[in-house]
Amino acid sequence: MLEIINEKISVITKYDRMKGTVIPLKLHWQGKEFFIKKLSYYHRVRLGRNIQHIFHVTDDNMDFRLRLDSETLHWTLEEITDGTPD
Amino acid sequence: MELQINKNNPTIMHIDLNSCFATVEQQANMHLRGKPVVVAAYATPSGCVVSPSIEAKQYGIRVGMTVRDARLLCKNVMVRTPDPPLVRDVHIKFKKIFKDYSPNVYPRSIDEAVIDFTGMESYLNRSLVEIGKEIKQRLRSEIGEWISCSLGIGSNRFLAKTAASLKKPDGLEIITDKNLRDVYKRLTLIDLCGINKRFEARLNANGIFTPLEFLDAPLSLLKNQVFQSIVGYYWYLRLRGWEIDDVIFARKSFGQDYALGKATKDPHELAQIMMKLCEKMGRRLRKAGKAALGIHVACLYYDGTFWHRGRKFQTEMLTVFELYRKALYVFNQQPEKKVIVKISISCYDLIPSKKSQASLFDFPEVKERKVSTALDAINDKYGEYVITPGLMLGMKDLVIDRIAFGGVKELENLYEN
Repeated sequence: MLEIINEKISVITKYDRMKGTVIPLKLHWQGKEFFIKKLSYYHRVRLGRNIQHIFHVTDDNMDFRLRLDSETLHWTLEEITDGTPD
Repeated sequence: MELQINKNNPTIMHIDLNSCFATVEQQANMHLRGKPVVVAAYATPSGCVVSPSIEAKQYGIRVGMTVRDARLLCKNVMVRTPDPPLVRDVHIKFKKIFKDYSPNVYPRSIDEAVIDFTGMESYLNRSLVEIGKEIKQRLRSEIGEWISCSLGIGSNRFLAKTAASLKKPDGLEIITDKNLRDVYKRLTLIDLCGINKRFEARLNANGIFTPLEFLDAPLSLLKNQVFQSIVGYYWYLRLRGWEIDDVIFARKSFGQDYALGKATKDPHELAQIMMKLCEKMGRRLRKAGKAALGIHVACLYYDGTFWHRGRKFQTEMLTVFELYRKALYVFNQQPEKKVIVKISISCYDLIPSKKSQASLFDFPEVKERKVSTALDAINDKYGEYVITPGLMLGMKDLVIDRIAFGGVKELENLYEN
């Protein structure tokens, strides 16, 4: 089941100075903590000159689509999928 | 004298991402992997399936079916709508990988590309099959472990594409002069890229029923009787592995079309849609530094009939308002106002915008172009449709971003960013 969320959330990230990467480790949403097990895909989207970073991550139970706005540094949980039929 | 089969070493590689849109969704969402997924233009029952996953194909779900039909074949199929930025990102990444092997990489569509190794044999030091295996492995390690491709190697683009289609998914096949006849023996005429049912009927009418018979057909038969044009000669070369498709066509037009979610004949609704189509088309036109002299409007009606008209004008069109006014003028020439299900607008006869003739008397036009330039600069800075004509208010979710089927020209903009 796919659910569109579009809510601002809190995220703990890891920055690797050698690789120059930022990876979400934990997210806090609706009073629950979700530990990220895997980054499935990362890409960027341009909105004019603003770059939005899209992270597709999973905690093994659900897939999350997160958006980091490089201008405001806000994290948004855009959608969740649990893989059950719609 | 009969032309021989090309016996040179194959140097063309064709790579086709398997079930691209659906596979990319499965890459991004781990919980969709191994499950029947379809990407459809709309998630509604009448939405058209544009990409079924490998698992969905096993249920008999095919491109072009409606979501309703897909659900009849597999009730648990998961339906997603396209995510163009995600798919475009995968395209850019795979093109970057291919560029490591040859400077001659030609994207054929969002999920297909041709790598031409002609003249590079002495630098390679290994076979194309080995390179193919490495590319497949790199796609998995650098883009995503769920990404797979079918790869074909041949002496021309046609044979390379044919080879890529021999084994799906995740195939790697090579067609040489030695196995060419064996490969043709396994195929039907429809399996050949470029032969549709009508061409098949035309070939059948001339006694050609299999690809082998097609290969053995004399040039005079193909040219003078079957195709009755130079196309017969092209097929004669193509089937024998000689290159005929390494042509890059220059852009001659910019166009947008839109299949209406809800068919309508309401002039206000249609005007809004036309404005948005003109806005999208105009942005691309101006980005390319062009202006257009001609405009073409096509309508597909609910009753299945079709109307289209093109018109050339003395003054060039550059801004959204110029395009819109002319498009509306052509649109209003319809003999009958009927319910429309699909509308297409394109502009043609392109000229460099800087060379366009300034009007001596029409001063508002000059002002309009300055406004248009300013609007483009604002949209470049803050994102598309941050500032739009008033007619487009409330149209954010209509005429949304799409990836053209088989479109290569739209990829031009992709590489600029």
